[in-house]
Amino acid sequence: MAFTPWSSKASFFRVLDQHRVSLIKSLKEGHGEAPRKEASSSEVLAAIENIIQDIIISLSRNEAPFLKIDNRSNWENIKFEDSVGLQMIPHCTTKKIKSDSAKSAQRFALILKILSMIYKLVQSNTYATKRDIYYTDIQLFGNQKIVDNIINDISCMLKVPRRNLHILSTSKGLIAGSLSYIEEDGTKVNCTCGSTAVAVPSNIQGIRNLITNAKFLLIVEKDATFQRLLDDNFCNKLSPCIIITGKGVPDLNTRLLVKKLWDTFHLPIFTLVDADPHGIEIMCIYKYGSMSMSFEAHNLTVPTIRWLGLLPSDIKRLNVPRGTLIPLTKQDQMKLDSILKRPYITCQPFWKKEMEIMAELKMKAEIQALTFISSDYLSRVYLPNKLQFGGWI
Amino acid sequence: MAARPVCEILKYVIFHWKWEAAAGSRKDLLEGELLISIEASSSEHQANTFHYVTTIAFAESTCGDLVPKQFLKEIQLLLSGFSGKLTWPSKEASCSQDLSDLVPFQMTVEVDEKPTTLKTDCLVIKQFLHKTSVVHPKVTFHFSMKVNGVLSKETFGPGSPGVQRVCSRIHPVLGHPVALFIPDEEAHVGLPGELTLTPAAALCPCGHQLYPNQTSRLSTAFVFLYGPSGLPLTFPNQKNLLTVFDNNSYLLDWKKYHLHAVPNLNISLEEDSCLLPDVSYRIESPEQSQPQDSGTEEEVLLLFLFVDFSNGFRAQLTEAWGMQALLLTQLNSILLQNRSLVQAAVHVAVDQALGQHCGLVKAQQKLQASIPVAVSSILSIVAGSTSRSFRALCLETLQAADTQEFRMRLHRAFQQTLLHPSTCAPKNPLPEPAGPEERKDGDKSLEEPVAGSCCLGKAPRLKRCCQGEGVGRRTQADGLGEATQPPVDPKPPCPQAPGWGSPEPGWEDSLWLQVLSNLSERLGGGSGP
Repeated sequence: MAFTPWSSKASFFRVLDQHRVSLIKSLKEGHGEAPRKEASSSEVLAAIENIIQDIIISLSRNEAPFLKIDNRSNWENIKFEDSVGLQMIPHCTTKKIKSDSAKSAQRFALILKILSMIYKLVQSNTYATKRDIYYTDIQLFGNQKIVDNIINDISCMLKVPRRNLHILSTSKGLIAGSLSYIEEDGTKVNCTCGSTAVAVPSNIQGIRNLITNAKFLLIVEKDATFQRLLDDNFCNKLSPCIIITGKGVPDLNTRLLVKKLWDTFHLPIFTLVDADPHGIEIMCIYKYGSMSMSFEAHNLTVPTIRWLGLLPSDIKRLNVPRGTLIPLTKQDQMKLDSILKRPYITCQPFWKKEMEIMAELKMKAEIQALTFISSDYLSRVYLPNKLQFGGWI
Repeated sequence: MAARPVCEILKYVIFHWKWEAAAGSRKDLLEGELLISIEASSSEHQANTFHYVTTIAFAESTCGDLVPKQFLKEIQLLLSGFSGKLTWPSKEASCSQDLSDLVPFQMTVEVDEKPTTLKTDCLVIKQFLHKTSVVHPKVTFHFSMKVNGVLSKETFGPGSPGVQRVCSRIHPVLGHPVALFIPDEEAHVGLPGELTLTPAAALCPCGHQLYPNQTSRLSTAFVFLYGPSGLPLTFPNQKNLLTVFDNNSYLLDWKKYHLHAVPNLNISLEEDSCLLPDVSYRIESPEQSQPQDSGTEEEVLLLFLFVDFSNGFRAQLTEAWGMQALLLTQLNSILLQNRSLVQAAVHVAVDQALGQHCGLVKAQQKLQASIPVAVSSILSIVAGSTSRSFRALCLETLQAADTQEFRMRLHRAFQQTLLHPSTCAPKNPLPEPAGPEERKDGDKSLEEPVAGSCCLGKAPRLKRCCQGEGVGRRTQADGLGEATQPPVDPKPPCPQAPGWGSPEPGWEDSLWLQVLSNLSERLGGGSGP
């Protein structure tokens, strides 16, 4: 049978185009704040020098120096704005990293250590990944997570985006579809493909000449689902489109790329996640951001993201076989309760309803449950229908 | 010898004082002053003999309802075998101006003794005062001695004048009281009710005095015994009635700690001003067969055993005094009968003290380990900066001529901020705990008190473990190429005025005071005060 893309029908993207128009209209009406200004190298160096200066002055007064960092783990320091997502309040509580306390002295020293490394990177205009930082002295740092947290703390403390610290995060995301760009080093990348995808680049800030005619961007939670869509030739069937995955909780570069695509093209962006609390949380990270990165919300969040599937209401509507459903665990329940209490849920009544359906069912479902209807149900029926008829919330 | 009667009188005064406090349901630590003044002059009647008069004086607030005549009578009964003279002088007569503030209560003990006996008596009395002041830290004992016109003074307690030689701080751990079974024979003799033993343990010096790479070993164990009212049970030079401690494994199963203890009988009143334990053990470990590093710090395990009894109802003062006097004579067999109970209680306290000490040492090591990392990071930024003004400001702030000197000063500055107040100037106040401002900033788990602030309670001046300010500090070698070396005093001499903490007992004494308050409360319901 000859291949005929769904999207060859003129009416297929009508609802999507209307959705895009409304999104652009909202933008023009002034919703949303400007992203944080990028810091220049000299500004970063000066910020680090100021910190060192303060430390030395404290020492000269025989006072134990400390570092003050905004407390990002306290919900009281987080505010929600529909147009931005989760962000830190202007005068938030702080925590002190003291040099004279056995509990925090090591962290104090490690922060200074990484600051000195950042200083050198910025001075020499070179870059390193978080992994590189860790491997400079694994005995000193202990584990990668410590390095990651300290780098976030430094970014928050200096009020500088991480990329301006010349520290790159390792990308784990994949992207495919109607998109091409040129990386900073001149490499031309074309994501249009059949069954392969392109790795999300590690220097999002440096990519230029982005070109796309995609009608939408689909964020896929899991790599397994992403690969399935690639195998089913989804990008061609629903061309022009882009699909991207962060392989679970997204890394910074994947989020930055999604944000960049929105900022550049104002594409309708949808998420395809499992109908479980973990999937919903991942979706919220893309849309509203996370507590830990709330200080960079303006550069990372895309509040216009819509939830395409798998919706808990789809389970009943599509008669998904009961045997494919999984009971919610205690952790699932706790996470669900926690998400329901988050500030952004109040302005998403439909999301709330869906979560309440899940709570009532006490069951969750993976996207793969749709394969029990038919093996290609997802790419052949579910997604095309959802996209054609506006089945997102 | 007049030391014994003087000490007995003091014991009786304190006992009476505590009795009055308990009668008023006051379980606070006793607070006040006593003066013990010895005036000795060559005897007119006997050659090579001193006639000396010991005066004990205390304020009315100490024993408010004490009737002098009655008191004298009770003391005379107490000291029935004493050949010296006991008097209660009139208000007009006073031996020295020092007493004028403490009238109206004074009594004197007069006796003729050889010079050597006088010297021993003084040492015994001072040991008693010192030992008592440990458990009654709010009572000041003013001791003065005038021999043929030459006056010397010492103070034991919080009112010590002058610069204090700061003793090592200890971290006392109060164990749980254990009820001791009183055998029938002892009960028949007159020890009714329940006898409790409460141990407290501490290591000296505390972990903050140790350097990160410095090894330490337990070399000695000192045991101090206290009876009801927190009075020392035994006298120095007294014939050892408590033979139970001759068994080196009575108190502790040393094998559990891979140690071996040997009773140390070389305790004598040779060195003035240092507190002598009631029982001392020399501790040996298997590693001792190898030569010890000269930098190895010797640590002393301090064990305080508080014995008191409670019979559930309040006995009369004289009866209670009689019981506590009887206690010492019967305690040996009681302790023998209750060995496992005593050992279990002591083990718990010692385990906690050792664990606490270990934690302190580790905390100090963490602090010290962080300094080289911080210093090299700061130096890297300063030395690598292209901003002349920034570099100049940094160097000027620490008064360094170049980056080499800057590194040294930076290191020293960090060290300085970690210095425990007890190891530098005793007048340096400890940092205040987190105030309301800091709490308002939301600082929670990472807001820690300064490392030194957890080192509370000062040890009495102990023989062989005086640390004071003489111990030098060595910074951790990390490729810096140098180490700051403050001057090291290898053997600080014992001062003449041991004192007890700073003139104003501050935050640093609060834990030991709290330990004693807790003990006082626990034991407050007894037949004795």
